[in-house]
Amino acid sequence: MNPYAGGTERELAAAVAAWSERLGPRIAAAEEAGKLPRELFWELADLGVLGMTVPERDGGLGASTVAFALVLEELAAAWASLAVGVSVNSGIVAGSLVRFGTLDQRARWLPRLIDGSGLGAFGLTEPTSGSDAASLRGTARRDGDGWVLDGNKLFVTNARYAPLLLALLRVSSSGGPRGAEPPARHAGITAFIVPLDVAGVTIGKPERKLGLLASDTSAVTLDGVHVGADALLGEVGKGFSIAMAGLDAGRIGIAAQAIGVARSALALASAYAKERRQFGRPIADFQMVSFSIARRRTETDAARLLALRAAWLRDVGRPFTREASMAKLYASEAAQRATHAAIQVFGGYGYMREYSVERAARDARATTIYEGTSEIQRLVIARSLFAA
Amino acid sequence: MALERKDADASTTVSVVTVGPARSRDALRQALAMGCDDASLVLAEEPLSDLAVARALAKVALETKPDLVLCGKQASDDDQGFVGPALAEVLGWPHVSMLTRLVPAEGGVELWREVEGGHEVWKASFPVLGTAHKSEKEPRYPSLPGIMKAKKKEIPERPVGSLGADLGGPRLEIVALETPPARGGGKILKDGDMKAVAEQLATLLRDEAKVL
Repeated sequence: MNPYAGGTERELAAAVAAWSERLGPRIAAAEEAGKLPRELFWELADLGVLGMTVPERDGGLGASTVAFALVLEELAAAWASLAVGVSVNSGIVAGSLVRFGTLDQRARWLPRLIDGSGLGAFGLTEPTSGSDAASLRGTARRDGDGWVLDGNKLFVTNARYAPLLLALLRVSSSGGPRGAEPPARHAGITAFIVPLDVAGVTIGKPERKLGLLASDTSAVTLDGVHVGADALLGEVGKGFSIAMAGLDAGRIGIAAQAIGVARSALALASAYAKERRQFGRPIADFQMVSFSIARRRTETDAARLLALRAAWLRDVGRPFTREASMAKLYASEAAQRATHAAIQVFGGYGYMREYSVERAARDARATTIYEGTSEIQRLVIARSLFAA
Repeated sequence: MALERKDADASTTVSVVTVGPARSRDALRQALAMGCDDASLVLAEEPLSDLAVARALAKVALETKPDLVLCGKQASDDDQGFVGPALAEVLGWPHVSMLTRLVPAEGGVELWREVEGGHEVWKASFPVLGTAHKSEKEPRYPSLPGIMKAKKKEIPERPVGSLGADLGGPRLEIVALETPPARGGGKILKDGDMKAVAEQLATLLRDEAKVL
C-alpha cells in the first residue's frame, strides 16, 4: 500500500505481475543467448505495456507515470533485462516523441514503438562523452531540405531491436557576432529521429556486459546518414533540454527497475532463510540474517515511495527533476545493498548461477551508472538545492 | 473458451453473469478485462442452494436467449459440479460436461470433451449448455487496455429475489466434516537375509494386510 498509487494503477501492475510469472523458463536461455526473444515484444504489445505511456490520442493507453513505474518494477522483479528495454522504449524514446514530436512524427513513429515490432533506442553517450553529455561530438549539417548526420553513439540499449534511434547531435552554427557571449557548452545540440534501416547506419557488436545479459547494448555509428527535414525532433539547439527532460522521466524508470530487482532478491533470500537449516534451525531464526533482510526491505520500500513521489509529481505537472534524481540515486544504491545481502543469505549457493540472486546482483549494478551515475544524481540534487 | 469463439468470429457476444455477493463484481470485472462484452450480477448476499442458483440463472438465460451457455465444471469450494447440469435441466436444454474445445458446426456446435485416451465429440443444435474443463489454451491475461475499458463499463446488478425464480426447495446440509484417520507407520523388515525377509513379507501380506 502506498499513498501515490490508486486502485487502477495497482491493477495494471498486478496484470503485468501475473504475465511476468510465466516468463520463468525463458529467462535463463535468453540471458545465455544474450538476446531477448522477439515474440516477447509482441506479447508486451498485446498486453498493452509498450504503449501504456502514450496518450490515447496517439493510440496508446495514456496511463500515468505512477502506473508505468509500478509496471516497470514488476517487469524488473521478474527480469531486469526486459524491464530496461521497455523503460527506454516506452519511457525516454516514446516520451520524447509524445512531448516534442509533430503530429506527423507521432503518427509515423509511435505505432512502431507500441506494436511490438521493435523497441526504440536513445543515443546520447559517445566514446568521449558520458557524464559530460554536453561535450558530445556527433554532428548534423543541413543538406538541402534535409540533414546529414555523423557520429558514434555508444552503449545504446535496444540498438539491435530498434526501428529508430533518438540521437543527440550538434548542429554547428556560423558563430555569433563579434563580442557576443561565448555559446553555452550545449549550444547546437539537437535531437533527431534516425531510422536505423537507412544507408550509413552501422550497429556494432553487442557489448559483453556484467549483467543485463539479454538486453542489447551496442554502438551505433552514423556515417554520412541522409535524413529528411522530418527527422528533426523539436527545434535546432533544443536537443540538450529534450535529452535532459527524457532522462528526468527515465530516472524514475531506472529507480523502479532497481526496486524490482531488490525486491525479488530479498524475496528469494527470505524464502531461502526460512528453509535453510544450520545449527539445528532455519537461518531466519538468527537475527544476523533476519535483521539484514529487514533493513534492506525497509530501504527498498523507502525507495519505492521516493520513486512514486517523483512519478506523481510528473503526473500532476509539477517539477520533479530533483525528486527523480533522489529516487534514482537512493533506489539504485539500495539495490546494491539488497542484492549483496541476498547473496550473503544464500552463502555459497548465492554465488552460483543456478540461483537467480547472482543475476539480481549483476543486473542491479548497472542502475547506479546508466541514465546518470550516482555522482551525477548528487550533482543534480545539490545544484537544485543550492541554485540561486 | 468463449473468448476463443469471439476471436474467431468477432460478431460473437460474450456475456458473463454470476449469482453471488457484492464481491463477485471483482470476478466479473476480471472477465470484462479479458475481453467479455458485458457482465451482470445477480446479488445474493446469503448462500443459496445449488438448485436455487440454477433456477435464478435460468431466468437470466430465458431473458437474454444465448445460443450457448458455458458454466464451470464445478465450484472450487464444495466441488459439487451441480449448477451447470441443473441449469440445463431447468431450461430443458441438452448439456455436455467437461468441455475442452468448441467447434462451430452446421446448425450448432461440436462439443469436445476429454475421455480416457482421447476425445469424445458431441454435436448439439442451439441452445445448448456445456460445463468447461480446462481449455486446450491457457486462459488469457487481462490486457492493460482491457482493464481500463472494463473500468468504464457498468455492471448492472439486481437482487436475486427480483427474478421471480423459486428459491426454495431441497437444500443440502453438511452434517459432519472429518479428517481422514491418521495413517499408521509402515514396517521395515530388516532381520535376516533376503529369503527370510521375503518370507516375513509374504506372511504379513497374507495375515495382516490380507491382500494375498
